[in-house]
Amino acid sequence: MPTRRVRLAVAFAATVAVVGPLGWLCWASRLPDAYAVTDMGYADTGGRPPAGSHAQHAVTGRDVTSLTADPARPADVSHILVAREQRFRLADGRTVDGYTLNGTSPGPVIRATAGQLVQVRLVNESVGDGVTLHWHGVDVPNAADGVAGVTQDAVRVGGQFTYRFVTDQVGTFWYHAHQMSHEQVGRGLLGALVVTPSSPPADAVDVVDVVALVHQYAGVRTVNGRPGDTPVQVAPGARARIRVVNTENGPMPVWVAGAPFELTAVDGTDLVGPAPVRDVAVLVTAGGRADLEVTMPADGSPVRVHLGGSTSVVLGSRSPEATGVRRPDATLDLLSYGRPAPLGFDPAAPDRTFEYAIGRRPGFVDGRPGLWWTINGRLFPDVPMFVVAEGDVVRVRVSNHSGEVHPMHLHGHHAVVLSRDGVPATGSPWWVDSLNVAAGESYEIAFVADNPGIWMDHCHNLPHAAQGLVAHLMYEGVRTPFTIGGSADNEPE
Amino acid sequence: MRTVYRVLAYVIAAEVAVQAMAMVFAVAGLGKWVQDGGVFDAAVMESEESPFPEVVGFIVHGINGMMVIPVLALALLILSFFARIPRGVRWAGVVLGLVALQITLGLLGHGMPAAGALHGLNALLLFGAAVHTGQRARVPAGTQVAESPARVPTAA
Repeated sequence: MPTRRVRLAVAFAATVAVVGPLGWLCWASRLPDAYAVTDMGYADTGGRPPAGSHAQHAVTGRDVTSLTADPARPADVSHILVAREQRFRLADGRTVDGYTLNGTSPGPVIRATAGQLVQVRLVNESVGDGVTLHWHGVDVPNAADGVAGVTQDAVRVGGQFTYRFVTDQVGTFWYHAHQMSHEQVGRGLLGALVVTPSSPPADAVDVVDVVALVHQYAGVRTVNGRPGDTPVQVAPGARARIRVVNTENGPMPVWVAGAPFELTAVDGTDLVGPAPVRDVAVLVTAGGRADLEVTMPADGSPVRVHLGGSTSVVLGSRSPEATGVRRPDATLDLLSYGRPAPLGFDPAAPDRTFEYAIGRRPGFVDGRPGLWWTINGRLFPDVPMFVVAEGDVVRVRVSNHSGEVHPMHLHGHHAVVLSRDGVPATGSPWWVDSLNVAAGESYEIAFVADNPGIWMDHCHNLPHAAQGLVAHLMYEGVRTPFTIGGSADNEPE
Repeated sequence: MRTVYRVLAYVIAAEVAVQAMAMVFAVAGLGKWVQDGGVFDAAVMESEESPFPEVVGFIVHGINGMMVIPVLALALLILSFFARIPRGVRWAGVVLGLVALQITLGLLGHGMPAAGALHGLNALLLFGAAVHTGQRARVPAGTQVAESPARVPTAA
């Protein structure tokens, strides 16, 4: 009998030894009901001594809501966007359950010229989870960044929020929900934003401007809401600019059949000296944009711009039956495309240097077991808070050891690519807000901290962000009154 | 306890079979979908929508492999502490170890396809180990107890 008891005791002890640590890890990983992102994880000052405690900032700091465009300046471009949860119809007649802005998805294309003040009033008519709008790629003042729980509370049904920002930069951008984004973006809360020069350059020729916002609805890929081919009339010999916006969660190759093309801009920044190329694909990462320019053949033959496998923009004067070609094996390497030009700052003498290493390991996040993404070896929410001061030159080494591609998106800033896998950039300055970091790759990027606030720096594969691949960039002395969770139910991812 | 241990081992083996079936079901569905004009690329792969019905096979494979089978293997190990099966703990440990290896290989396969090939091979090892673990536990506890005293006098 005693041996039986001893045996049972050993069995129980062994069980506790196996289950105990797992249970403890699970318990310890639970997130509070409400927390400020500034209290999350640990501060990484990038090699500089900390300027003061977080608590001090909370008392003396600037509030993110004070970081706005000049409130006295009247708007040059004004829109009201009404968000609804509804069933809507795609161009081919298919109906989709999702979200719309002013009754359509994608929402209206917002157009502005450089230097204009854009004002958008977002009204939530019926989106139960609440909504926000993030201006992807536009370096807006922090208060207009549209991240629920960081720069504002999600707008509840019946509520509204006004975004105001000056369009400093010419280029192709987009806007999308940043509340429950992995669900709301996928189901239609998005649209394109195009900023053109205020006065066209002297040597400008007429260019047919085509926005091609690529998005999948219920598994069907569309361009501006239309599946399959999107025909555009362009005369022989004329030029067309195709503004490709990849709103998806994975990288999308773009290639052109029927004419050479130039890649004139990436992520809303013009490239310097782009040469005509052919038989090569351009990889547009998730959230990224690419502007392609094509001169139409003089003989009137059409040109097909493949956007991923199943959708195309067909440019042509007469015949829309442009034949397609398979994706070229080669991918345009932006590290060496175009001509070098001054950056406007010296990345060789950074004030701060950060490491952003993406990995993956088993563990618990908020009590849930799984295989989670890690940042610098740690699981969400134990992620770095990259702390900078205004005016700092910042270098970041982004490396991916997780086995899967990650489109890394930094809010509020454009960073320039210095090198990939140790190979320095020799082409045009390659400025990004969304960078495709493939498995096994590492990038050195640099930027000037010139836009105070608290900015997300996350993976734009939105389900990955929801799984915790999220960090933030924070300026010394800036604080936020908003919390993730809490009474406003803010869920940015 | 012994019966539960045995059944659990067989359930794990059956789950490995389900995993193989789910995977081929999904891959075959993908092939058919592409034949019918569907286009598969990163955007479709990363999408949370299901472009073809057999995609459920990938989902089943993921949930089964990452959640259900590890929990079953852990339960088998815990049961083995109580079931008093000679070397029962060791074999439950082997099954759990192979499950851990299987998950690792499966995930490595995303970036390194050769690891995916080993994932296929290790599935057979895991299946074999689970079946063997179940078979070893077949002898009812009573027989074992009756044998032991009989052997003691012989040894003495």
